Parts: sequence; C-alpha cells; structure tokens
Amino acid sequence: MFEELYKQMAQSIIEGEKETAIELAQKSIELGIPPLDAITNGFVVGVNYIGDLFGKGEAFLPELVMAGEAMKAAVAVLEPELLKLGEAREMMGRVVLATVEGDIHEIGKTLVGTMLSASGFEVVDLGVDQPAEKIIGKALEIDAQLIGLSALLTTTMVRQREVIEELDKEGLRPRIKVMVGGAPITREWAEKIKADGTSEDAVGAVQLAKKLVGKD
Amino acid sequence: MPPLTFLSDEDVQAMHEATLEILQEAGVFWTHQPSLKILQDAGCTVKENRVRFPPDLVMESVAKANKRPVIRGRNGQVNELGGGELYFHNLGGARDVFDAKTGTRRAATIQDAKDAVRLLDALPHCHTVTPFFTPPDVSNEMLSLHMFRNALPHTTKPVQGPGIQFGHEVRYAVEMAAVVGIPAQELTLSLSPVSPLTLHDVAAEAVMEMAKYGVIHANLPCPTGGATSPMTLTGSIVQQSAESLAPLVLAQIIRPGCGVVYCGRLGMLEPRTGLIWGGVELGLASAATVQLGHFYGFSVNVYGFSTNAHTLDVQNAFERGLNAAVPALAGADELSGIGEMEAGVMGSFAQMVLDNELAGSVLRLRRGLSADAEHLAVEVIKEVMGGTRNFLGQKHTLKHLRGGELALTKLAERNSWDTWEGKLERKQMADYAIAEAERILREHVVPPLDPQQEKELDRIMTAAEREPRNSRR
Repeated sequence: MFEELYKQMAQSIIEGEKETAIELAQKSIELGIPPLDAITNGFVVGVNYIGDLFGKGEAFLPELVMAGEAMKAAVAVLEPELLKLGEAREMMGRVVLATVEGDIHEIGKTLVGTMLSASGFEVVDLGVDQPAEKIIGKALEIDAQLIGLSALLTTTMVRQREVIEELDKEGLRPRIKVMVGGAPITREWAEKIKADGTSEDAVGAVQLAKKLVGKD
Repeated sequence: MPPLTFLSDEDVQAMHEATLEILQEAGVFWTHQPSLKILQDAGCTVKENRVRFPPDLVMESVAKANKRPVIRGRNGQVNELGGGELYFHNLGGARDVFDAKTGTRRAATIQDAKDAVRLLDALPHCHTVTPFFTPPDVSNEMLSLHMFRNALPHTTKPVQGPGIQFGHEVRYAVEMAAVVGIPAQELTLSLSPVSPLTLHDVAAEAVMEMAKYGVIHANLPCPTGGATSPMTLTGSIVQQSAESLAPLVLAQIIRPGCGVVYCGRLGMLEPRTGLIWGGVELGLASAATVQLGHFYGFSVNVYGFSTNAHTLDVQNAFERGLNAAVPALAGADELSGIGEMEAGVMGSFAQMVLDNELAGSVLRLRRGLSADAEHLAVEVIKEVMGGTRNFLGQKHTLKHLRGGELALTKLAERNSWDTWEGKLERKQMADYAIAEAERILREHVVPPLDPQQEKELDRIMTAAEREPRNSRR
C-alpha cells in the first residue's frame, strides 16, 4: 500500500539525493510505516540497483558513493525509531576497517565502509595509519567477525600480512576473517598472505563480506 | 580552442602566392574544348593544351563560391560545414575487406557494400556516409552509380560522394538524389583532378554538369608527394591547392555561388615500395591543408584515419591516432578515413567501430579545456576540505562526469589484470570491436525507401546502363 513511497525511496538512493532520502524517511515515520519496511522495501532496493549497475560497468563510482551516503542518511533518520520499537535492522555483521600502518590513503576504504553500512553491516572505521595491535584490539572489543585492511602503496601492502600473522599467532582465525584491498592488491597477493579474500571494488567488497559472514 | 597551426601567417601568404603563380605560369593540362572556351572568355589563356589562370579571376571565383555549404540526409540530419563543428566520414571506394576475426582478406561483395553503409549509419561519430566498398564486376563508367545506388537505401545520414569521373554520372546521380530528396541539398559529389595539374575531358565535362545542376562538390586532388607532386610537403600542398582551385574557377563561372568543399588528399610516396605512405606526414600535410583552406574561408575536408597496417595492430593505432588528431586540432571541418586500412585499399567493419571510438576521443581533444569558475571548482575544493576530504560524493563530480569532462570510451580495456585475465578472458579492444560490429549488423535497421522509390532508382540505373557508350566520351 506504500508502493509509490517505496519507489520514491529507492529512486532517491539511485539518484544520490541525500536530502530527498532524509525527507522520505521522515515522511514514512509520520505515516507510521514500520522503519524496517521502509529500509527493506524502499531504500535497500535503490542501493542494490545502483550496486548491480556498477557491477555491470553501467554506473559511475561517484554515483555509488552518493547512493551510499544517501542510504546512510536515511538509515540515520530511521534508527532512533527502530530503537524505540525495540527492533533492529538485521545486522549482517560487524566489521573493523583500517588503512594499515604507514599508509594514509583512505578514499577506497571509506567507500567500502559506506557501502558496507548501506548494506546492513555495522562498521567501525579506524581511519588511516593503524598498527596491527590497534586493529585487532578494536575487533576484539566490538566482537567483529571481519577485518578489512586497506593499502594503496606497494611499500605498505606488506603490513596487511603482519596483521594476518598476528591474528594467526593469537589463534583468532577463523573467528575473525580478513579482507584486503587497495590499488596494488591482486588475488595472487591475497592468497599469498592467506587473507580470506579481496575485491577490486566496493560492490565486490560487500558481496565478499556477506560471503565471509555466511549471509550471501 | 584556438587551432593548432604549423605555418606562420607569412608562410600561408607565401603558399597562397605560390598557388596563384602555379595557376598563372605552369597552368593546368586541359583539352576539353567547351570548358576551355568558357575559361578563355573569362580571361584565361590557352596554349599547347595548357590553360593559365589570371590571379584576379582565381580570387574572384573563390569569393563567389559558397564556402560553407550545408549538407542534409534523408532523415533531416544537417551538417553545417564551416560552422566550427568537426564532421567525420568514412573512406570511400575500398576494394578489399579485412576480416578481423580470421585475419584474412577478401574482395568486397555487393553485400559488403550495403552492410558497410548500414554499419556506418549506426555509428554516432560517423556524420556523413560515403559508399565504402567498390562493387565487383562493374564497369568503370558505372562504378560510382552502383556505389551510390547501394548506399541510398541503407543510411539516412547525408551521403557524400561518391567520387565521380564522368559527366553522365552527375546526371544520373542527380536523378537518383531527386528520388529520395532535393539534389541541391542532399547530393554532394567529388571529382579528382589528376596530378600533376591535369583535368581530363570527362572530368571537365563532369565539373560543368555539377555546376549546371548546382551540386555541392569537392575537387579532390590526390597527389603523391615525390611522384606526382614535389617531395616537399608545402610544395605538394600548393600544387594540390592549384589542382583544387582550377576546376572551381570553371564551376563558379557557370554557376556563381555553387557550394564547394576544399579538399586535400595528399599522400607521400613510400620510397621503398612505391606505395602510399601512412606515416605522420599525412596528418601534418592535412593540418597544413586545413590552414591554407581556411585562409580562403573554405570549409576543409582532409584525410584523418590512415595507416599502412594490414591488421588491427599497434602500427595501425598509432598512425591513425596521430593522423586523425593533428588535422582535427588544426581545425578541420571534415575528416575522412573511418574504416580505412592499407592506405585506402582495404577496409574492415571492426575498424569502422574502432574509428568511431577514436573519433569520440578526437572530438574530446577538440573541445579542449574550460577555466571558468565552474571548472576551476575552487568553491568545491573549499567545501571538500572542510568536510569529507574526497570528491567522490560531490554533486560537482557527477555533474561533470555526466557533462562529458571524460569522453567515456566503450571499447578500450580499462580493467585490472585480474579482471581482464579472469572475467574478461583476456579480451582486447579489437575483440570488442569485432563483436560490436557483428552486433550492429545483426540488429541495426535503417528505415527503408518506399518500394516506389526503389523501383525508380532501378529504372534510373537501367537507363544509365543503356546509355550509348560514345556519349560518355
């Protein structure tokens, strides 16, 4: 019965119209639509659509980012309502993201974070230049199932291996799975350092994350 | 953007004066009496089969010509030559087809001739279609009429050319053009004087016919530098210019204001093989031809896409890339050569698709850069620095991405090694071009002519076939 509104919600995400997405989220609260329905039947449809287009090479990266940000903004409006109702959006999993020590590049990682949150993951983004112990510490603290490690430079990508070796030493795998990414990262490298997977782009990273937490 | 120039104003002036001196003192080899009479009456001197042109007459004729003709297609597409736009068209008159899938060559069939026109009709950066392949087993006298006949039903874009040689071809082409539209608006023909500086009787008659019917036309000299024109580029270009202007004088006397396109097809000699050189001097000569033609106020049509290569290889790409970009940046109004290979002897469907993509990149180069406030984006930079510190999520980014800041290519391979080797199975640009050409030929439908129009065209062709040969000289 709210099909038209759901369509508008999806469209606001596809067009990356953050303000419209926020307005539509507020409107759904006023209309008494269950927040989970608004997310699942409306906004998520838009995120999936643009993600699919991107996967096919038919959408641009900036469109993906704007869609992700609009999604985050809409969910931020709906979340207090969910809490009030004592409900929660089905959580895909908890992820700690970081750019490894010595590397200060973060656009790719931030984008992965945006898309993961837009897809229902709880994301803690530690930022750049993060040593292994801090990343692992945070993962234990929030009981994360996933760690995502970013590196842009061939000189810093070796740090991804350090984090994995550290996790192995502590016996924390396979409880915590590790995804690696960044411009110089190849499948070959990911296999070599025994990461659980890599993806070339943020949409692929979401698919990988879902697979690693068994929700694909 | 300001045009790229290779010649100073003094250089261009010197080339202009050299052209007039050639026309006045070397003259043009010309024996066609009816046209010589017209030229003599206008002040030319004729001696020992050579006609010499007074400079004032040449310049008066240039002044009279419609130098910015508008050409139309049967769908109403309009190309306004000389208005600052760059229009692309394909090579005309190739003999062989390169089958890029098998790496083999074969003689073009009539089906190839029709398919090529239909494929070009579907390519957005091919603005004008010239009959691409020469049909087999057709006499020289009927060749261009067959090409025109095969082209008309398979495109709605303006049809340019075909290159004609005889007066009767003009008459029948005009008749055929009248079946699909208005000949003075929709028919353009080209005629090649022979180098050096020779106009055969049949060509002189053809010029008179084109002028009589007011057909927009191009005099299309094709000198070979080092063989039929001087070894030096500027020497060849001034000879080429004289070859182009001599028939123009005749046409403008007969029909003042007749539409003309100034053309250059200078190719240098490959001195080790005797073939035509596909190297970068071709682009350089085309650029200089553009500069000289613009000096007179003409819209200029030159070679762009050109190579000696026989396959879709590295040489092919770099030669045609340079040969297209250089004259385009010099301000060419029309660039020829889409689909060309082996210096004009051969063509390929995949090459046409590749050239469409190259044309898109060349147009992007021509558009240049903007440094207005919107493009300098200082406000955006300030905002980003106070916020997300990346530009991906900015509306400005998306606006200009969609607005064409990047001319997004469709066929070029731009993925990572892993994706290329895995998902894409190591496919390269040429593989995509082959598949795209196949797809277009499978799917693209051109609005057909009426059955009545088809019948009328056939009737005209039959009449042309039956015309007694002696009247064709």
